[in-house]
Amino acid sequence: MTARQWITVTLLLMPGLGLIVWLIGTVVYIAFAQSFGLYNINGESALTTAYWADLLGNNIYLRSVRYSTYIGVMSAIFSVVLAYPLAIWLRKPFTGSMTIGSILKAPLLVHGLVAAFLFVNVISYHGILNQFMQWIGIWDGPHRLQNDNNAIAVLILQTWKNMPFALLLLTGALQGISDDVLDAARDLGAGSWARFRKIIAPLTVSGMQAAIVIIFIGAVSDFAFQVIAGPINRQSLAQLMVGYKGRGDWNSAAVVGATMIIVALFGSAILAGLSKIVMRGRLK
Amino acid sequence: MIKKLLISTAVIVATTQMAAAADLSSMSWDDVVTQAKEEGELTWYVWYLTDDLRRAAKTFEEEYGITVTIPEGTMEGNLEKLYADKARKTGDIDVFALGWDSYTSVDLSAMFMPLTALPKDDNRVSDLAGIDAGEYAFAFWGNQTGIAYDPTHITGDDLPQTPKEFAAFWQSHPEKFGFNYQNGGSGPSYYQNILRVVSGADFSDPSDSKEHLAALQPGIDFFNAHAENYVITASNADSITRISDGELWMAPAWEDHLAGLQNRGEVRKDIKFYIPEMGMNGGGNGVSIPLNAPHSAAAAVFINWLISPETQTVFNKEFGTAPMNAAADDSFALIPNAMRKYSTVSPNKPFRSAMEAKFTEEVVQQR
Repeated sequence: MTARQWITVTLLLMPGLGLIVWLIGTVVYIAFAQSFGLYNINGESALTTAYWADLLGNNIYLRSVRYSTYIGVMSAIFSVVLAYPLAIWLRKPFTGSMTIGSILKAPLLVHGLVAAFLFVNVISYHGILNQFMQWIGIWDGPHRLQNDNNAIAVLILQTWKNMPFALLLLTGALQGISDDVLDAARDLGAGSWARFRKIIAPLTVSGMQAAIVIIFIGAVSDFAFQVIAGPINRQSLAQLMVGYKGRGDWNSAAVVGATMIIVALFGSAILAGLSKIVMRGRLK
Repeated sequence: MIKKLLISTAVIVATTQMAAAADLSSMSWDDVVTQAKEEGELTWYVWYLTDDLRRAAKTFEEEYGITVTIPEGTMEGNLEKLYADKARKTGDIDVFALGWDSYTSVDLSAMFMPLTALPKDDNRVSDLAGIDAGEYAFAFWGNQTGIAYDPTHITGDDLPQTPKEFAAFWQSHPEKFGFNYQNGGSGPSYYQNILRVVSGADFSDPSDSKEHLAALQPGIDFFNAHAENYVITASNADSITRISDGELWMAPAWEDHLAGLQNRGEVRKDIKFYIPEMGMNGGGNGVSIPLNAPHSAAAAVFINWLISPETQTVFNKEFGTAPMNAAADDSFALIPNAMRKYSTVSPNKPFRSAMEAKFTEEVVQQR
């Protein structure tokens, strides 16, 4: 291309891509700069690795990294695993499939905070679940289920919220598979598992990767579910970042923010690669 | 040239601000009220209970015909707005509310005008919890942490007063006592005072040195030794809700928070409150007028109304606050005045922040 053509293409891309790059770029740049002592809100700015060194030697920070990664990975896996059979079921329209699909996607319309508060009400000490379990005689007395140490409540909420999103992407990918291909496989003697393993999985891997990556990024940076329903003895990265910011320690907050970006970036790349290997049996 | 322009602008801004402040101080109170009515409006930056405070301000609006606008915002967000507005000739804030312990980190004379225009009243409070705001702020909201308890399970004589008695309660009633370590200051007030009493560390020293933090170890060990017998809750509100629900029998709470929830019928009205003899943190919130307030006379009249005995009596009744005017009636408070002698002062940063981080890492995350 000539220089003139390059300029034309660049100018044409500027309104859309330029805005995105500028908006994301400035935020990421400032977060990383603050994590190294620059752009100080309080006090003098000076380039230093002290904030990273402090946090890398801090158990609270390291546990937060592990915990948020755990929540991100498990939420993405659970959401996709639950969405697959539903997407296969809803692939071909049948009477009522539209209604079922709409009901399944309803959590997308409910804000996470609302869902978290409702869920806490359900599992609270004298909540519906405890009362029901006692009524049917399984439990003798109420159990303390709120803020469980294994973050089961957070994983339930994440899966409830994100599964419809995975379902949306996977249904689209599945509906793109021709009936002829599946019928041919059936004619050649492929059972349900073989059709899933050798046709559906490889042909829907792109949709699945998109779902797993987007859900992972959202769950890694979760704040709302964690604060309301999460374990007390663990802090998510977002929770830790808000804590530092609340104490006026913007540099440490920036380190945690930059960590979230790094974990989201590398974690989603690893998950996308692994999911391709699992679904196709190879990386390429 | 640019330097000259900048200096000239700074001088003009400074003199205009000083003139505004001086104008108000040199006026009679009647003239201030007249000017306030001419201004006709004011904006109050306050970060909590905004709906309730808008309702409370209606009385002022009806009395003076001055409209009060309360925008939404957090305390940190409001502070950032105050700093961002500092260089403007005329800002957006008329009355600025701030947590009393934050006055130590703000240059009061550089940010606020002296409240000398207000009629003299020795019953007001400008020196609270060991922090003297001088003539730049008055307390309008007194709050106190203590222990909320369910009187159907525990009576006045059995209430724990010291760390040793709390430990005995935890042992005899496992998982019936809870406290939060984040999302609100009542739980932190509780564990900080236990740490203070058990460890004997000097809480008046703001240093976050290793030696100072190491002195807290007996208190940390105390909590870890009893870890199985107490519950850690998610927030101030969660603690009270779980007492109301019958799950917990006792938990730290803010006096005004509990009273507010009870007045609105959101938790049981029979829940009681006390300050243990070992002490728990008390404090309050204050109000000031920024130097570049657009309606400074209206702001002065509003503050005079806000900290009057009448308004403070209403606040005590409606919100359960400790009155910040000695002439106010405090008979609606959850606790008798005599109990307030157990109120302690919150430790200062950076020691407090370092202690919170240590407690989180060595107690909460070890569970």
